[in-house]
Parts: sequence; structure tokens; C-alpha cells
Amino acid sequence: MKKSNRKSIQNVLYENPGPRMRARIRAATILSLFLLLLLLFFIVRQFLITGQLDARYWSFFLRPTTWRFLGMGLLGTVEAAALGGIVALVSGFFLMLARISRFGTLRFLSMIVTEFTRGIPTLLFIYFFFLVIPQFGIKMPPLWKIALPVAISASGIVAEVLRSGVNAVPKGQREAALSLGMLEHVVFIKIIFPQAIRFVIPALIAELVIVVKDTSFAYVVSFPDLMQNAKVLISNYDALLSVYLVVAVIYIVINYLLNRLSLFAASKMKIEA
Amino acid sequence: MPDEIRDEIPVIELENVEKYFGDLHVLDNINLRVKKGEVVVIIGPSGSGKSTLCRTVNRLETIDSGKIRIAGEEMPAEGKELARIRSEVGMVFQSFNLFAHKTILENVIMAPMSVKKTPKAQAVKEAMELLKRVGVESQASKVPAQLSGGQQQRVAIARALAMHPRAMLFDEPTSALDPEMINEVLDVIREVAEEGMTMLIVTHEMNFARQVADRIIFMDQGRILEESTPEAFFEAPKTERAREFLSKYSVSTSRLPRGAYESVEKHASGVLGMRISATPEA
Ligand SMILES: Nc1ncnc2c1ncn2[C@@H]1O[C@H](COP(=O)(O)OP(=O)(O)OP(=O)(O)O)[C@@H](O)[C@H]1O
Ligand SMILES: [Mg+2]
Repeated sequence: MKKSNRKSIQNVLYENPGPRMRARIRAATILSLFLLLLLLFFIVRQFLITGQLDARYWSFFLRPTTWRFLGMGLLGTVEAAALGGIVALVSGFFLMLARISRFGTLRFLSMIVTEFTRGIPTLLFIYFFFLVIPQFGIKMPPLWKIALPVAISASGIVAEVLRSGVNAVPKGQREAALSLGMLEHVVFIKIIFPQAIRFVIPALIAELVIVVKDTSFAYVVSFPDLMQNAKVLISNYDALLSVYLVVAVIYIVINYLLNRLSLFAASKMKIEA
Repeated sequence: MPDEIRDEIPVIELENVEKYFGDLHVLDNINLRVKKGEVVVIIGPSGSGKSTLCRTVNRLETIDSGKIRIAGEEMPAEGKELARIRSEVGMVFQSFNLFAHKTILENVIMAPMSVKKTPKAQAVKEAMELLKRVGVESQASKVPAQLSGGQQQRVAIARALAMHPRAMLFDEPTSALDPEMINEVLDVIREVAEEGMTMLIVTHEMNFARQVADRIIFMDQGRILEESTPEAFFEAPKTERAREFLSKYSVSTSRLPRGAYESVEKHASGVLGMRISATPEA
């Protein structure tokens, strides 16, 4: 049970390599490592030539204020992503419920909303919240102006992901629960949904990663997220490449942590494949 | 109501039941009464409607016309009343259908706690007794996927018994099992029968049917063609259809000691179209 996931997937895809295949794999590894180093060498050389590694592009990273500023941006990103993620999960859940309901009109409405949110680019929703909503006299803090459109954009996919999970639960589970005298909604809450969510945790996390990335549009609504603050640093120090590199690494770390979280959650829920 | 009168009301009663799947007349004027403590075994060729009949009894399949009564009460169409009647009829499926995300113990205590509001301590106590009875108490904290098919099916029986049902339905309870696990499940079913449970069993295990049944129902193309005692049915089937069906099986004429029969005969004869006897001829 504690076997690493990657290994078991490889065992499914390929048979165990023999001695000749092992030699070939080793050669390929060495060759690709060499090519990677070569690429890195050319990148660094190009940076040197164009002066991107000059001290003036990097020295401000030694100042605590730079990091405090980036940290505030990171906090903003986490806030917007967390709020957007929660709203997306909740609204996706209800969209999914409507989609599998007994009432044809509800199913139809849910389908329209789902297709609508899936088909429109996130940026359009953000502009809607930035330009159109204020015209109705609705005042909204910038955090919501970024979190809500990002959530709406993700909700349709969350709904479809959850629905695919519900459909993946064998119908015998429902029949067994009904035959024991459980009511339909109890069956859904206690038997169907807990299993469905286990099936789709990886897909849900993938969608949350997209939510995190979509919050980088926050500059449109002047919400100080990581990207927005990075832009300020760039114009202050006239240092485009170094700042973007650092910010990219921070985004990668956030999303990597999200993925670890999903693995952790999956293992906590004693999934049996 | 005095007990003598209640005992005369059939626990399961089907009256003029009709059901279609599109053009297919899958249940054709079915009349069936199962008395308290009676064990009725349904046999018949594949596609004859045995599973469908079994599933209509707790309304996992709806019917087009006719009446189904459980202990004299007509099956409600929906809602809490339907759930209550369902909770009085236990069902064991071919594919076990244990709740995959729950431990064995949780599988057994779930319905008593959530449907009957049994306090947890009592539900656990009863569950452990049941698990012990079916011989899987040492597996209580595992999840279903960690158990063998035979163990899972025994848990499924315990789970159904935990609701103290009036009657139990079995739809081919051993058809998904490896041959060596069939007997351990049949033994448990036989014990439950001996304790006086009212049962409706669909099975292809002819020797088991012969041993455990008070009455055999033979179905073909949605109709009940024969209804008789096991002796009468297996020794002198009345219809040509039943004779033809039985010729594909080798049914021992003697009452064998528990666990002495095999089920491989069915598969072998079905595939090869010949009679292979895995049981010693009496
Ligand atoms: N949901 C359904 N929709 C349409 N046809 C169905 C459905 N369920 C069963 N049938 C058909 O109804 C007929 C009876 O099916 P049923 O499962 O009751 O047969 P059975 O006697 O249990 O057969 P087996 O021994 O193979 O289990 C079959 O022809 C089957 O194809
Ligand atoms: Mg069947």
C-alpha cells in the first residue's frame, strides 16, 4: 500500500526492463543531462553578454524591503486564490447538484451556466467585474473583484469534475445503501459523494492550480497580488528579467505545495484504487 | 394482531406483477407468496427475469402493474415509507457492493445507526457478533478491497442481517466468486436459513438449491413455469423447458454433507455443452 505511485504506474505501462533496456535507459539519461547542461550554459552566457547578471539587476534582492513587498504580494495571491478556490468549489458543487437533479429545468439551467463559465476566458469575467459591475453602483473590495471572476470561471469545470466523480461510483453502491433503507439524499451524502470526491482529488487540485494562476490578472482591478507587486518592483528598479524569474519560482513553489497537499489528502482518505 | 394471524400473512407477496423493458416482457403475470420462515429458490436460464423479480421486491426496479406486499403492507412508491419497508428486506448482491470507503465494521453499523438510530455502542456490539457469526470478525478494521470475495460476501450478509430484516433477498450471491470460496458463503446462507429467516434466493447452485429450498420456482421468459418441492422439481420436472435446463446441470440425488458439492460443473457444462459431474453419483 505504501508503494510510491510513480513506480506502480510505470509497472502498468511497461514491463520490467531487461539488461539491454537498462543500458539504453542509462545512455539516454546521460545524454539528456548533458544536453540540459549545455542549454543552461547558453542561457547563462546570453545573460552575461546582455548584462542581465549585472549586480544592479539583482542587488535589490538583498534588501529586506524587497522581500517584504514581495511577501505582501504573495499574501494577496494566497488570499485571492483561497477565496476564489473556496467559492469555485462551493458553486461548482451546487452546479453539479443541479446538473444531476431530477428536475429537467434545473439540469438545463445548470448545463447552460456550466458551458457559459467554461467557454468564456477568465480575463473577460475580470473586466466585467472591473468595468460593468461598478456601473450598477455596486461597490466591491478589489479582493472580491479578482476572486469572484476567477471563481466563476473555474466553477463550471469544478462542477464537471465532481459530476464525473459521481458517475464513476458504481451503481451497486447506491443500490446497496437504498436496500438498507437509507433515504436518497442520505445515500448521496454518506455513500456517493465521499467516494466521488476521492476519485477526483487530482483533477480538483489541477483546477485549483489554474485558480492560483488566474489570480495573476489581479493588476486589472489593482489588487496587490504577487504579480502586481512584481510589476512595481520592475518599474522601480528597471529589472524585468530578474524579478520575473524570482516570481516564477514563487508560483512554482505554491503550485508544487498544492500538489503535495493533494497527495497528502488522497493518502489520508484511504483510497483503494 | 395475534401472532397466528400474522404468521398467515405472507412475508413477501407478488400479485399479477407485470414489467416490461421496452418491448421485452420481463415479468409476465408473476404470482408468488413466501410465508414466514420459508426459503424459496428461483432458478431458470439466463435472461429469464430472475434478477428483475428479486429487485422488484424492494423496488430497486419499478413494476408496470400488479401489487407487491411485504408483511401485508403494499410497497409504497417513494419517500420515507419506501425506505422503511426496504429496511425490513435485506438484500445481498452478486457483486457484494460493500461501501468501498468504509471499514468492514463501519459497513455493518452504518445503516442501523443512520436508519434505525441505534446508539453506536450497541450497533458496534451487534455488528461484532454478526461478523463473528460469519467468521470475519478479525477483519473488522480493514476496508473491503483488502478482503477476498468470499469474505466480502459474508460481510454483506452480516450487513443485511444487522437491520433485523423480516426477509432476505439473494441475487446470485456466489456467481462472482472463485470456486473455492463458494461454499463458505453458501454455508453462511444455509445457517441463516436454518435459523428461520424468510428467504428468496436466485442461484445457479443446484445442489445448494436442492438442500436449502422449501420450494423451487422455475422461471423462463418472464414467467413462472413450475413451482414445486425440490424433490419433485429435480426428480420429475413437469415441463420440457425445465428438463432441458436441468440436463445442463448435474444434480446429486442424495443429500450431501455440507460443503461436499462443487459448482465447477455448471461452468464446464455450460461452456462445453456436455455433462461433467463433479459430484459423486449416488
Ligand atoms: N435495465 C434494463 N433495461 C433493459 N433490459 C434489461 C434491463 N435489465 C435487464 N434487462 C433484460 O431483462 C431480461 C431479464 O434480465 P434479468 O437480469 O432479470 O435476467 P436473469 O434471469 O437474472 O438472468 P441471469 O441468470 O443472466 O442473471 C434480460 O433479457 C435482460 O437483458
Ligand atoms: Mg441475474
